[in-house]
Amino acid sequence: MIQLIELGKRFGNLVAVDGINLKVDSGEAFGFLGPNGAGKTTTIKMMAGLIKPTSGKVVIDGWDLAEHPNRAKKVVGFIPDRPFLYEKLTALEFLKFIAGLYNFSSNGVEGKIDYLFGLFGLTDWRNELIESFSHGMKQRLVMASAFVHQPKLIIVDEPMVGLDPKGAKLVKEVFRGFCAKGGTIFMSTHTLEIAEEVCDRIAIIQEGKIIAVGNMKELKERTGSDGKNLESVFFKLTGGEEVKRIVDALKV
Amino acid sequence: MREIILLLKTKILSYKNSSKNEEKKRFLRFIIFFSVGLLFWLGTFLIFFRVLSYFASIEVIGALLASRLLSMVFLTFFSLLIFSNVITALSTYFLSDDLQLLNSTPVALSSLYAGRFVENIVNSSWTVLFFSFPVFLAYGLVYNATLLYYLTLIGVIVPFLLLSAALGTILILILVYIFPARRLKDIIMLASIFLVVGVFLFIRFLQPERLVNPESFYLVMDYISNLKTPTSPLIPSQWAANAISPFLFGYSGDWGFFLLLLWSTGLAFVVMGEWVFKRIYYDAWSKAQEAKSAKLSRSKIVNRVLETMLRPFPSQIRVVVLKDIRIFLRDTNQWPQLFLICALVVIYIYNFSVLPLEKSPMPTFYLENLLSFINLGLAAFVIAAIAVRFTFPSISLEGRSFWIVKSSPLELRKLVWSKFWLNFFFLLIPAEILIITTDILMNATNFMLWLSAITIGGMTFGITSLGIGFGAYFSRFKVENVSQIATGFGGMMYMIVAVSFIGLVVILEARPVYLFFMSKIRSIPLTGAELTEIVVLLFMALILNVLAFVLPMKLGLRKLASLEI
Repeated sequence: MIQLIELGKRFGNLVAVDGINLKVDSGEAFGFLGPNGAGKTTTIKMMAGLIKPTSGKVVIDGWDLAEHPNRAKKVVGFIPDRPFLYEKLTALEFLKFIAGLYNFSSNGVEGKIDYLFGLFGLTDWRNELIESFSHGMKQRLVMASAFVHQPKLIIVDEPMVGLDPKGAKLVKEVFRGFCAKGGTIFMSTHTLEIAEEVCDRIAIIQEGKIIAVGNMKELKERTGSDGKNLESVFFKLTGGEEVKRIVDALKV
Repeated sequence: MREIILLLKTKILSYKNSSKNEEKKRFLRFIIFFSVGLLFWLGTFLIFFRVLSYFASIEVIGALLASRLLSMVFLTFFSLLIFSNVITALSTYFLSDDLQLLNSTPVALSSLYAGRFVENIVNSSWTVLFFSFPVFLAYGLVYNATLLYYLTLIGVIVPFLLLSAALGTILILILVYIFPARRLKDIIMLASIFLVVGVFLFIRFLQPERLVNPESFYLVMDYISNLKTPTSPLIPSQWAANAISPFLFGYSGDWGFFLLLLWSTGLAFVVMGEWVFKRIYYDAWSKAQEAKSAKLSRSKIVNRVLETMLRPFPSQIRVVVLKDIRIFLRDTNQWPQLFLICALVVIYIYNFSVLPLEKSPMPTFYLENLLSFINLGLAAFVIAAIAVRFTFPSISLEGRSFWIVKSSPLELRKLVWSKFWLNFFFLLIPAEILIITTDILMNATNFMLWLSAITIGGMTFGITSLGIGFGAYFSRFKVENVSQIATGFGGMMYMIVAVSFIGLVVILEARPVYLFFMSKIRSIPLTGAELTEIVVLLFMALILNVLAFVLPMKLGLRKLASLEI
C-alpha cells in the first residue's frame, strides 16, 4: 500500500529526512516512532502531499505521489497532529465539504456521515459551529472526516493528542476494526502504549534515518529486551540516558 | 517601560525572523517594492504638483482653493486613520492569538496598552503616511515653503497619528465593553452605522458641489468667503491644516496655537485611552472570550437556495464555493469593511446625482462625457479597493486549514479558479451598478455608457485575477488576524499594480474617446488615420486586459503549487 523509496527532505542545511526506505502492506497497522525532531512529521507531511520531497519518492496504492498526486490522495485519509479546521462551518457542513472534495457525494454520503457522527460521539454537535468545539472534539471530527470518503489508507500524526481516555479507547478500536477490514494505518505517535497495542509493525526513526523496523518480537530480540515493553526498546534504540538527565535536572 | 519594549521587541523579532527564511527573495522584494512604490509616489506627487501649480496661477481664489484642498486632504487622512485604527485595535487588543498567553502573564495593563498602541500606529498609519508625503512635498515646492514648513509638518503629523490611534482604540474598547462579545455581529453593525454616519458627515463637511456652482453664491465675495470658512473648527484635521497653512500661503496665522492644540489633544487622548483601557479592558477581553457561541444565525432557506444554485457545478467546485460563501456570511470580522464600502458606493452615486453640471461654464455635453470617463477610472479604483479587502485575502483565508485542501485530491487549479469566479461576480455586480447608475445620472451618451460598461467588465476580469493571483503569490496562511492580510506588503503591491493597470487602460482609451467626441462636436467624420489610431489603442487596451487576466493567475497558481505547509 505504501512505498517510501530513498525519501529525503532538506530544509536549507538541515537534513530532516535522510533517504528512508519503507514498505507497508495492505491491512497493516504501521507505527512510526522517534524522538522529537527525528523527522516523523516531515515524513508524514511528504506522504500527505503537503510538502515536496527533496529526493526519492512516495508511492501510494501503486501511484507515484509526485506524478499522480490526485489518484494517490484519493485513497488516503489524513489526520494531522493539530486539527486546524474551518471554524465557521458546522460539523455536518464540514463533513459534507470533505466528501465533496473527494468527489464522494452519492446518495449514501448522508448515511455514512450519520454513522461517523454516531461512532465518534458527535451526533448532538452535528449542527454546531466548529469554533465551539474543544480540542478533543475537533480531533474526533478530523478523524471522522478522514473516514468519510472510505479511504484505503489512514495516515495519522499523533492520534491521541487532546483525546480523553474514552476517546483514546474508541480510536484504538476504530483503527483495529479498519485494519481488520483490509484498511491500512500509518501512524506516528509518542504514545508507545498505543503503538504496542495497535500496530503490527513499527519503525523507529532518529535524525532522519530509520534505525529499526519490525514487529514487537523482532524489535525486542534485536535490542535484547525480551519480556520488556516497547518503552525499553525505544529507549535502548534512541538513547535513554538523555531522559534520565532531564529527570535529574527537574528534581528540586 | 521594560515591558513595553519587550512586547514591541517580540513583534519586531517575529517580523525579522519571518523574513530571515527568505533572505534571497528579500533583495528582489526590496527592489520591486522600491521601484513600484517610487513610481506611485512620483505619480501622486506630479498630479498634486500640477493641480497646485494651476491653483497658484489663479489670483485671489487660487490660494483659497489650495487651502481648502489641504483641509480635504487632512480630513480624508483623519477619517482613513480612524477607520483603520478601529479595525486594527479590534484585532490587536481582542482577536490576536498571543493575547491568551500575554493575559495569563503578569504584564501590566498599561504596558499592554502602550505596546499594542505603538503596533496599531505602525500598522494602521504607514500607508497613509506613505501616500501623504508626496502631497505635502508638492505643497511645499509649489508654495516655496521654507524648512520651517517641513519641521512644523512633522510636528503636526505625530500628534495627528497619536490622536487618531487613541480615538480608534477608545471607540473599540467601549464597543466591546458595552456589547456582550457573543453579539459581536451587533457591535460590528453598530460600528458600521457609526462609520456610515461618519462618512456622510465627512462628505457634508466638504460640500464639494458648492464649489462647482459659483452662481449659487450671491456675490463673488460671498463665494470667496465660503472658501475661506474652515470646514469645521472643531475637527482636528482642520487644526492640522491651520497649523501648516501660514507657512504655505504666507499669511500670519496662529500656527503655534493649532500645533499646541493638536499636541495637547493628542496626548490627552492617549492618556484618556490608557485610563479607559485600565478600567474596562479586562472585562471587555473576558467577554470577547465568550464569543465562541454556536448559536449564530444559520438560515436554512439561505443554505437551501445556495445549494440549489450551485447544483449544476461539479462536486469539488460546489463544495469549495459553498464553504467560502458560508464562511464569509458568518465571519463578522469582514462585515465592517463591507458596510463601509457600501456606504462609500452610495455616497459616490449620490454625489453624481447632485453635481450641478448644467451650471458649469464648460459645455454640458463635453463635461458630462468627460466626467463619465473620469468616473470609469474612479469606479474601477473603488472595485480594486473592494478587491484588496475581499478578493486578495481569499486564498490566505484558507488559513491553517489549508492542509485540508492540499492533502485532498482537489487540484489547486480548481480551487483557485472557483475562488476567481466567485469573486469576479461579487465584484462585477457593484462595478456595473456603479458605472451604469452614475452614467445615467450624468446623462452620458449611449456610446460612453456602453464603452464604460464594457471596459469596467473587462477590467473586473483583470482586477479579480490580480487579486487572486497576488493573493496566492503573497499568501499568508499563518497570519494572526485577517486584517493584516490586506494591509501587508502583498496587499500594497496588489493595490499599486491594480491602480497602475486601471490607469493604463483609462489612458489608452482616453485618446479614442477624445477623437470620437471631437468628431461629434464638430460634426466631422473620423479620418482613416484617426480610425486606425482608435483601433490600435483600443486593441492595446484589450491586450493589457488579457495580460492582467492571464498572468497573475498563472503566477499565483505556480507559487501555490510549490508552497509547503
